[in-house]
Amino acid sequence: MPHTPPSAAAASQPHDAPGLGARSVHQKPGPDTLLATHDLVIDIPGRPPGSPLELTVDPGQCWGILGPNGAGKSTLLQTLAGLRAARAGTIKVKGQRIATLPRAELARRLGLVFQTHHDGFPATVLETALIGRHPYLRPWDIETSEDYARARAALAEMDLSDLEGRMVDTLSGGERQRLAIATVLTQDPSLLLLDEPTSQLDLHHQVAVLNRVQSIVAQENRAAVLVLHDVNLAARYCDHLLLLFPDGQACWGPTATMLVPSALERLYNQRLSVGEVDGLPVFLPRNE
Amino acid sequence: MIVSRPTRHLVLLVAMFLFTAAAQAEPVTVTDDGGREVQLDQPAERIVSLAPHITEVLFAVGAGHKLVGATQHSDFPPEAQALPRVGGYSRIDMERVVQLDPDLVIAWRSGNSQSQIEHLRELGFSVYVSEPRSFDGVASSMRRMARLAGTEARGDQAVRAFEETIETLRQDYADREPVRLFYQVWEQPLMTVNDDHLISEAIRLCGGVNVFGHLDRLVPRMDREAVIEADPEVIIGGGMGEDRPDWVIAWGQWEHMTAVQRDNLFFIPPSLLQRHTPRIAEGTRLMCEELERARLRRAD
Amino acid sequence: MTRSFLLAAAVLLPASLLAILIALAFGSVAIAPGDLLAVVLGEGSRLHDTLVLELRLPRALAAFAAGGLLGLAGALMQVLLRNPLADPYVLGLSGGASVGALLAMLAGLSMFSISLAAFAGALLSTVIVFGLAHGTGSWTPTRLLLTGVVVAAGWGAMISFLLAVSPTAELPGMLYWLMGDVSHARNPYPAWILLIVVVLLALPLGRTLNVLARGPMQAAALGVAVRPVEWSIYVAAALITATAVMQVGAVGFVGLIVPHMLRLIFGNDQRVILPASALGGGILLTLADTLARTIIAPEQLPVGVITAMLGVPVFLFLLYRSR
Repeated sequence: MPHTPPSAAAASQPHDAPGLGARSVHQKPGPDTLLATHDLVIDIPGRPPGSPLELTVDPGQCWGILGPNGAGKSTLLQTLAGLRAARAGTIKVKGQRIATLPRAELARRLGLVFQTHHDGFPATVLETALIGRHPYLRPWDIETSEDYARARAALAEMDLSDLEGRMVDTLSGGERQRLAIATVLTQDPSLLLLDEPTSQLDLHHQVAVLNRVQSIVAQENRAAVLVLHDVNLAARYCDHLLLLFPDGQACWGPTATMLVPSALERLYNQRLSVGEVDGLPVFLPRNE
Repeated sequence: MIVSRPTRHLVLLVAMFLFTAAAQAEPVTVTDDGGREVQLDQPAERIVSLAPHITEVLFAVGAGHKLVGATQHSDFPPEAQALPRVGGYSRIDMERVVQLDPDLVIAWRSGNSQSQIEHLRELGFSVYVSEPRSFDGVASSMRRMARLAGTEARGDQAVRAFEETIETLRQDYADREPVRLFYQVWEQPLMTVNDDHLISEAIRLCGGVNVFGHLDRLVPRMDREAVIEADPEVIIGGGMGEDRPDWVIAWGQWEHMTAVQRDNLFFIPPSLLQRHTPRIAEGTRLMCEELERARLRRAD
Repeated sequence: MTRSFLLAAAVLLPASLLAILIALAFGSVAIAPGDLLAVVLGEGSRLHDTLVLELRLPRALAAFAAGGLLGLAGALMQVLLRNPLADPYVLGLSGGASVGALLAMLAGLSMFSISLAAFAGALLSTVIVFGLAHGTGSWTPTRLLLTGVVVAAGWGAMISFLLAVSPTAELPGMLYWLMGDVSHARNPYPAWILLIVVVLLALPLGRTLNVLARGPMQAAALGVAVRPVEWSIYVAAALITATAVMQVGAVGFVGLIVPHMLRLIFGNDQRVILPASALGGGILLTLADTLARTIIAPEQLPVGVITAMLGVPVFLFLLYRSR
């Protein structure tokens, strides 16, 4: 999906959203919509409701969620995955209310990669990737060679083939993160929810992971939602952005309309310098 | 019913045979302390004892030679020490019991495992359960065990001797002036007995009064303060072995106690007082003598 | 998975038979191999028949079933708490079952009610450990162990209290029962039935447990209905612990050692480890009880002594390694 460079107007003109500098774009969910929220307020104790979310994730879209520490990005992602109860509002996955979907069915439709991985229990790399097949197997089923092939392919994509017999607790942080992504690739859901998937990766693997996400989204009927800390990666790989403020305020829309320096400065409470590389904006923290 | 002649002869023969067999070895039936009837076709010849005091009683009633096995610590009389062992009383070595092939097993209700006793019954052994709780109980146990072993003559003799000793002591001492006493079973924790205990029967017989006899538990744990406050006239220590434990003398540090001032700190070997055997008559005699000594010291 | 399952079956099934055979062959009375064979062929002497078939066999079966239940309980709790140190004895389940049973005994209830009370005690213990150690969703070994140790100590104090206030005549019956000891086990069949049923139920649940071992959130994201599964396992663990305790008293450490050793050999697939732990626990307790019967015969040791002597070093080693 081609990225539109931000128009001069979008970059310079202040928008009318109250004090945010960016305006949310509401889009009605269509028949193909993978994920839609209505009036969604995530539940973070002691926080005012802020802006209820009206998100629509359609096939082919790659959404980035940006926000400072503690803004509730992970909570939002887990709420979207049906793992946390929302304070208010509804979430629909492929048109069905998430609360009414059986867990296994939900796990075939969307997959979540967590930010932290606690593997207190010993397991090998291959076994770990293989559990991505769990939603597809009935209780008495045993993994077939095809399931193994999928897991091995996912490991290969994440450069982990050589490690398949290793115990998970001997992996480095980056290897473990790639393993988590390999697991969700094995799971192969329509909607990928990735919580800071690149936070521990070297540059090469960051690009490799995001390229892979992009290629998945390019397939039929797929989409992804990524929590990212790197605005510049978000600008390159996401076509839609959701800015999440610590007070619960939020705004969202196509990337081009969201990359407004004043909004980003407010978001991170940090002055930014803006440049341009390869026709895309680059934001760097300004030290003063 | 028409019975053919040859058959009638056979019936007659069998009946006669049964009659003579019964006359040769008379069946024995006694009721044990669990309320069960124990029936033997003939007096027991191979007995296994499951507690030291049972071994001792069997020897006392002249059935020691019929014992083929006993639990650990069956140490009296000395001959008992040579008996094959069948484990400790709390955990019986069932295989050894089976191997000894006894025709009577005598068990101890409050010491052996209930499930092991039942298991022995299921295996087809005759089990007599013993649980004497008083002098009368000791005498009646002796009688019943003697009957089971077919040694009534020796048994009656032993029971009479036991009962006579007890009766003599009762006549000599029961109406003497009461002596308030504290019987100490053990030091850490500090333990005594209440009036339901066999030892208290010995105490009463000697004209003693157990200062903690009114307590609910059979073997209550005591607070030292309570003993000092009760201020008994006599303290009698038991313990484990045959020698006086140091803690009997240690009461000496409480100089204002009557028992200490009169030097009434006594020791009676627990094997003579705490086991449910005829030897308790001997222990009782010792106690009566100690209490009498205490009465004499009142004059000082 | 299939390979390690078959490997485990190929190793553990013969080993189970061997363990029971050893239990049949050894005792405080020596029986020559030829005589043993005669008994098996139905041609043994009356004495040998009684020794082998009526004493050793029921006892070996009781030890095997109870050991299997404890191994299974340990394996289940370890998955659930994602901690290889979890064990029904260490975490106080056995203590809870003991207290429940003691209370029922004091109240003079029937055998069935005593079993029920033991189950209730184990379940209460589970709920306490689960509730308190769960906290924010992830267990640290320290937190879990502290909770378990404190709960177990609490039960220990309760037991002391109950023993202190119980009528003296009742004491021996209660004491036997608190020590891990197979010599009082009578009817092994209910334990066997439960063991087989739970293993059969756990097999199809094995992959779900594999997923659950990655943490509740991850498991939920992979389509596991976490809460119902967790609760079923807790109830099952409490039930099988209580049954084992009713059978052989509070035997420790079987649930700790067995799954750990098996994981080292067969990997960590619960579909393999759960049935393997049942067999392994059975083997361990059967052999330990044979040792307890013979090591200082005719004196008999409670089997809990043997398992503790094996288990404590293993536990300390695991704790040291987990840091």
